[in-house]
Amino acid sequence: MEQPMLASRRRRWTWETLLLHGLLVLICLVMLFPIVTTVIISFKQEQDVMRKPPVFLPCDTPDGAFDLAACRWSMEGYERVLAPKPANGWLFNFQLTGNLLRIYIPNTLLYATASALLVVTCAGMAGYAVSRYRFPGRDFFMVSILAITGIPLLTNLLALYEMSVDLRKAQLPFYDDRIFIVLVYIGFYLPLSVWIAKGFFDAIPLDLEEAAFIDGCTPLTALWYILLPLSLPGLLSIFLLTFVNAWNEFLAGYLLIAKNSLKPAMFGLYDFLSQNIINFQVVAAACILIALPVVILFLFTRRIFFQAMIEGAVKG
Amino acid sequence: MQSALHRKSSQRARSWLPFWLILPTILVLLVVQVYPGLYTVWLSLHERQPAGWEYVATKNYERLLNMGLFAESVGHTIVFLIGYVVLTLTIGMAIALLLNRKLRFSGLYITLLYIPWVIADIIAGIVWRLLVVPDYGLLSGITQNPSLFPPNGLSVLTAPPPLSWFGDFPFPPAPAMIYLIIASSWRALPFITILLLASMQTISLEIIESSRIDGANRWQVVRLIVLPLILPTLAVALFSLTLSGMNGVGMVFTMTGGGPGSSTEVLSYLLYSIGWGQRQFGRAAAIAMLIAVVNWLLIIGTLRFSRAQESNQ
Repeated sequence: MEQPMLASRRRRWTWETLLLHGLLVLICLVMLFPIVTTVIISFKQEQDVMRKPPVFLPCDTPDGAFDLAACRWSMEGYERVLAPKPANGWLFNFQLTGNLLRIYIPNTLLYATASALLVVTCAGMAGYAVSRYRFPGRDFFMVSILAITGIPLLTNLLALYEMSVDLRKAQLPFYDDRIFIVLVYIGFYLPLSVWIAKGFFDAIPLDLEEAAFIDGCTPLTALWYILLPLSLPGLLSIFLLTFVNAWNEFLAGYLLIAKNSLKPAMFGLYDFLSQNIINFQVVAAACILIALPVVILFLFTRRIFFQAMIEGAVKG
Repeated sequence: MQSALHRKSSQRARSWLPFWLILPTILVLLVVQVYPGLYTVWLSLHERQPAGWEYVATKNYERLLNMGLFAESVGHTIVFLIGYVVLTLTIGMAIALLLNRKLRFSGLYITLLYIPWVIADIIAGIVWRLLVVPDYGLLSGITQNPSLFPPNGLSVLTAPPPLSWFGDFPFPPAPAMIYLIIASSWRALPFITILLLASMQTISLEIIESSRIDGANRWQVVRLIVLPLILPTLAVALFSLTLSGMNGVGMVFTMTGGGPGSSTEVLSYLLYSIGWGQRQFGRAAAIAMLIAVVNWLLIIGTLRFSRAQESNQ
């Protein structure tokens, strides 16, 4: 009596789940469709990019049949972005001379890393102070930070632009636009990070530090030996979030840096876009090359990422 | 004696410690947030002249109000925001409901769904532009087919907006605006889905199961149990979507450039084109002030709402 009931229940369960999985796979395909198309375009030849009517895969034979063996893949897009030139002493005797990889991506790497490190440092310190101490002005500090979170980078950009022009004119020693852009990124991503850091410190029980104080720790040594290891995942998530945000930022990097040799990757991409109005495979290849590092970074660290996103959204 | 003194000094050091710890944050924020913020207010009251800045009081704001493009741009922003928020919240909610159960591969689905969010907005703009480039884009092959979109087929990026129903208000929007809304939602969808899903997962399964036993159907469970419990998160989602839609300019930049004509010229893009295109910093600063005020009102509104929710619970 019990056996058939169980079986029917199991069948209903699989049928419904199958439908659900089908739906979810479909949603994933739709969401990834634009990206997949771009990847395919980046490997197309010029004559396949300029086809009318357009084709998804460049795999049709002259008589119009679809044949995987007839696919015409090409690295032309990437070659034109990277501009490899024969050179002795380099890896495989090739030097990649394209500006994107030689200048712009290293610049972006520098800006994103520097701002993420400094944001983590400042946010960690401030988050610890706010989480562990009741000091005069604490509430005012947190409310101001919340208010500042409401100022978007866009509306401050006019004034920041004027400041960058004035600073450049002042010809300070050791100063160049790199310092200013990193400072702007820190200031822009810091407010939310302070809230995230406070949340992570709040979640660590006070008892641990009190035990450390009894054992002779000062607040700073307790912070270093007890709290820092425990809050490392939280701080790492702030680092990653800031890194990806700074990597993807366009307008500030485009407007606040004067010298072409200091401009970030997103500017390089915009430059490519205006130069290659019809060479879509080149534009697509540049897009893939710039997006790939952060996508890979995300795939390896997604759990930490989700945690920071949720924490940040709920707090901010 | 020695140790008492020592303790006293260490106590004082301890009481000053938090101020030292927040000092770097305060300094950075003063330099790149507070000062430029005040500077923008100053800019909005001045005009650049060959000799220097001239104080013009509220002339920049008046000029803005008399400018046809400004009023049109406010209209575009409202149309964009409504479309963007409604589309993203509806689909995000649906996907989150699908994922909110014990399911194999759900980690994989979430990861795949999340990828669009990691991609920069200007790259997303290019990616979507490539799909509808006139004649050569993959979707253009469909939309430019005259039998599907009579009479001549539709070229998304170049088709002019239809005649407006409400005088100057730009509705119905141009195809490019609809496309911009879809593309922007695509990029915001992962974040909103994860946010709603995380909130749904805090609802205990027992509540849902017991209500199912009591005879509630699936839709009733969603409407009467899930929806009220995730209401605060929905508010957060609504608020962050409105902010990102208001301030995001990257997709417009690489996808439509405000066109065709001025049919995707939202306020954030207008700020850029007046500021750096026409070099009218005073007027652009007036737009910046407007955007900043709307942002603040939104934040205050959300805070009030979440406080009210907290005191209810």
